[in-house]
Amino acid sequence: MTKKKKVPLFWTWVLGSVVLRLILLYFPKNLNLSSRPEVSTPLTSLRRLAEGYWLKQSSISPYAGSMYHGSPLLLTLLGPLTVTRIEGQPDHLLCSLVFVIADVVSAMLICAVGEKLQVAYSSSLQLLGLRDLSENSELLPSGDFAALVYLWNPFTIVACVGLSTSAIENLMVVLSLYGACSRLAPLAAFGWVMATHLSLYPAILIIPVILLLGYGPDAPPRKLFRQRNSLEAGNSTVSDVYSEEKAKNQLKVANVFSWRPVVSFLFWTLLWSSYILVLCSMYVQQYGGLQELFKRTYGFILTIQDLSPNIGVLWYFFAEVFDFFRNFFLIVFHGNVLLMLAPLALRLNHRPCFLAFVYIVISSMLKSYPSVGDSALYLGLLGLFAYELKDMQFSFFLLSGYVGVSLLSPVMHNLWIWRGTGNANFYFATAIAYACFQIILVVESVSAMLNHDRTLTKLCTAMVQNVKS
Amino acid sequence: MGANENSSAKPRVRPIVRLGIFLISHSNIVSLVCFLAGVVALLLLPVLAKNTYISENALMPGSANNMLSTHHVSDANKFIKDLTDLELRSMASPIESQKLIAQYMSALDAEVTFHKFYPQFSQFHPLHFFTSPDSGIISKNGTCSSFGVNTVGIIRAPRGDGKEAIVLVTPYNPNKVGLGEAVSLGIAYSVFSLLSHATWLAKDIIWFVADSQYGEYSAVASWLREYQAPVFHKVDIVTSETCNESSTFDELGQGLYLDGKLNGDFRRAGTMAAALVIKVAEQGNQYEDSLNIYAEASNGQMPNLDLINIVNYLAVHKQGLRIKVKKMWSLLDSWWLNTVGIIFESLGKIARSLNPQWKFGIPASEYVEGAATLASSLYYQGLGVPTGPHGAFRDYQVDAITLEISPKVSLTKVIRRNEFILRGGRLIEGVIRSINNLLEKFHQSFFLYLLTSPGKFVSVGVYMIPFALLVAPLPIVAAYLHSNASSSTPQNPSTLGVDANHKSWKWLNSARKVLIFHLWGVVVSLLPFFLCQLPNTTPTMNFILWGFASAFSLLILFFISGCPIFEAAASQPEKNRWTSLKSVTISTTFIGLSLMSVINFATAEIGALLIVPICLLARPLKLDIQAKSWRTLLRASCNIALGFVLFPPVAFVLLKGAFEDFYGINVGDYWNWVESLWAWNSATYLYVGVVHLPSWALCIHILFHPC
Repeated sequence: MTKKKKVPLFWTWVLGSVVLRLILLYFPKNLNLSSRPEVSTPLTSLRRLAEGYWLKQSSISPYAGSMYHGSPLLLTLLGPLTVTRIEGQPDHLLCSLVFVIADVVSAMLICAVGEKLQVAYSSSLQLLGLRDLSENSELLPSGDFAALVYLWNPFTIVACVGLSTSAIENLMVVLSLYGACSRLAPLAAFGWVMATHLSLYPAILIIPVILLLGYGPDAPPRKLFRQRNSLEAGNSTVSDVYSEEKAKNQLKVANVFSWRPVVSFLFWTLLWSSYILVLCSMYVQQYGGLQELFKRTYGFILTIQDLSPNIGVLWYFFAEVFDFFRNFFLIVFHGNVLLMLAPLALRLNHRPCFLAFVYIVISSMLKSYPSVGDSALYLGLLGLFAYELKDMQFSFFLLSGYVGVSLLSPVMHNLWIWRGTGNANFYFATAIAYACFQIILVVESVSAMLNHDRTLTKLCTAMVQNVKS
Repeated sequence: MGANENSSAKPRVRPIVRLGIFLISHSNIVSLVCFLAGVVALLLLPVLAKNTYISENALMPGSANNMLSTHHVSDANKFIKDLTDLELRSMASPIESQKLIAQYMSALDAEVTFHKFYPQFSQFHPLHFFTSPDSGIISKNGTCSSFGVNTVGIIRAPRGDGKEAIVLVTPYNPNKVGLGEAVSLGIAYSVFSLLSHATWLAKDIIWFVADSQYGEYSAVASWLREYQAPVFHKVDIVTSETCNESSTFDELGQGLYLDGKLNGDFRRAGTMAAALVIKVAEQGNQYEDSLNIYAEASNGQMPNLDLINIVNYLAVHKQGLRIKVKKMWSLLDSWWLNTVGIIFESLGKIARSLNPQWKFGIPASEYVEGAATLASSLYYQGLGVPTGPHGAFRDYQVDAITLEISPKVSLTKVIRRNEFILRGGRLIEGVIRSINNLLEKFHQSFFLYLLTSPGKFVSVGVYMIPFALLVAPLPIVAAYLHSNASSSTPQNPSTLGVDANHKSWKWLNSARKVLIFHLWGVVVSLLPFFLCQLPNTTPTMNFILWGFASAFSLLILFFISGCPIFEAAASQPEKNRWTSLKSVTISTTFIGLSLMSVINFATAEIGALLIVPICLLARPLKLDIQAKSWRTLLRASCNIALGFVLFPPVAFVLLKGAFEDFYGINVGDYWNWVESLWAWNSATYLYVGVVHLPSWALCIHILFHPC
């Protein structure tokens, strides 16, 4: 009943966000978003893509001159759109429409993921016997909520209107999560391979995707199921034998890592990646082949050659560091991302989706060329866990911080570049503040999630004791 | 058991967290102390001002002897005479005087060009506030018939590589050349004639004679736009196709083309190191020759302090000119400022008697002078409107000031005039020679400062303290209220974790309301854009329309968002809703003020003085009246008074009355003031619309909150 009532409202909001984007698209000169360092990085800028396409059309390597560093597939998809102009319309209208569509599709996928997660979560809560909680968790349609958060997030809107290709990268990440949640191994593999191909960092998402395929969507800690299982076994006075059997089976299923979808995922990954590599090698055949491609894309990402300012912290650091320490610090900073993978995977392996969210936050914090598009993705995913994170601390502080930093950053940039009264430290200060807020966000959300698990454990043990006494 | 847990948990709290908790729990006292300290620190600024000093060693002002001689002055006098004679011949068209200037320039072996421009009339561009200056603003409304012609002369430096330049600007109105303008041209000419033969010159000199018939600023700005950010095709099409009457412009150069010295195209001379705008006031100062310095550019930007320092040093020590910066005259006689000055003086005396090392305190009269100058410095920076044509240079990161020299007696006497020109010319020569020594652009000294006298300044490190003290209570009180609001939810231990009320997200509702108010602020700031399109309206009518449209848009916004303006009788758990609303209001105000302090410090300082008290005091009147103690009633009346005073138009009228007089003020004045703000793209306009107005409205909303 309530669901049906909410659906038109949901669609109005979705439509509203699309209309807002279309309105903003008509002020490209005035907003000038596509040249903002917060929006377009060397990897995501559409201007660079257009340049690469132009080079390709003139039979020069699209990677010549350190202008373009993205994927050749993106070049074939968006390149022709950058040169087609419609009379009387803004320059990159067709490209922007592609980004708007990508945003909406991502939002729909997030919505679907949210619904799947919610159904799975409430059923697993019911299995544990926590009926109150499972009803509570159904109150808030977290999928719709997350989709709207994603669509109406100013960061998403700015990235979309600012013609940043991060909308497509985000779409691929969400696609792989959706595929994994609904156990469609080919889809998950496609999303993962594409996301990795486009921006490299999503490669670390292979862990949560495998966990998702193996264990299924987020659930309470597994030991609770085991406890419950043993309790049910000892307590055979329950009347309905059939449903009991069924519940038992389900409880067992929750604990078992199923290898079949994982193997199929790996197989499909192999297939898709070889397919993409073949396509790419055909495209760059005359210009140095795959080796050149890897050097210009992944090499560019990993060695941080472009030190123009962005909202991350690495540009400043690598502008200051001595040349002979450069390699060392490159390893340190990239190792930093990898270092956190294993402990988090061990601690949060029963919540693979949340794990993916944490990974995305960490990678977008320590990325070599971060932009607001990355923040848009993880803030959208944060909405999926609205129920579990309802007791999160510092939420208000975080929101104020995000608002403050995102307004202060352009002002500091203006002070540095246009007025000349500030310097690079001014802008870097906002970048540090932004990184701090991201750290607080990830720390607080993980601790809120762990607290949520603790309360679940407490309730379960209390129930077990009640039954025993 | 529980007590044990508490005692074991307590020592683990880190000192910094404990300090934070202490501050938050004593937020009332802390905010009162901070606010008062902020006001006192603001009043202390004239005492804390430091003497200026020349920071860049390369400048070496006054190290060389002046080379400007009476010979140059007599040349200049001839030039002035020719100009004024031309004026007397009433038949002469304005073109003649420009021709004359160009002839004189080319006689000095300078490259001469004319720059034709179409004046741009102020228009409201809501999106042009923070765009870079070269984003291609093309005048569409410049009519063909009204155009101005600037004359530009360039001397190439014998020792330079043509990559740097110094600019001299003399605005004058070719239709009506006054004596002051003619003398300012004469001073520039005397310097120019000297520099045309100077062997030491390392930077090119541009003498820019601005056609000020459409305003000095627009002439300078349009030339600079062409100089720094040329537009390649669009304007050419406009001029050649639609304007056929540029014959007068063509006729202008005919005499000079033959010499081969006039250049038809636009000429450039490297990046500008600095620019000096020279003006001569016709009304003499009674006591001595004096020099007024105007430095404020748009949005409170100032030129590098070193530029002012050189001028100050040379004018005082070399030429014996009395140097002045703007003051708030009305403050000089105010009794309270004098009292404060006397208090500080006596405090300084006490401090010195305790320890002679403490050089604290200045004489009361000096304090009052400093405070009046500081107030005007704050006011003009805060207004965000440039105080002269030098403002146009700052948009391209060129340091520039206006020097207005006013003579002791009238300039009609030739002998007196010669001496005056010699003095002014030597000053300009010295300044140019100093800048000529400069190896990099000005960077050594301060960009962010307030002047308390020509030789004293308050740097950013000092003037940030009062502001920081003023706004420091805001986050503390916000945190206090927020923790209050979130902890007041009744918690039942039995329903542990089952609490469907999202405890820590309860503030979202208030945030939505605050967002609506701020959106309303944006709408209100954009409304004048549409009101401007209406033909034939008086300021008063515009203002009234604006008021109605604003109120109407607030209602519409509330209707769209589906958020009740006033909640009906609040239910029990929502009793403390106003605290959470107030906490969100205060934190947004804090963000807004901090942002503004980076964009334009002076606006933020003045704004903080106005808006912080009501933000801290606001509390529903109903609660205060119900309590019926004298304290609450006092607070309620304070709130009402502040709420009335802080409504932007009322605040404007009151401030205007305080500093000028109430005579002849009408509501249209506010519209005019606001119009001047947006015409100059002042960020103060945005501040008033997007930060001050919504914060004020939210405070009023809290005052009338039914709780």
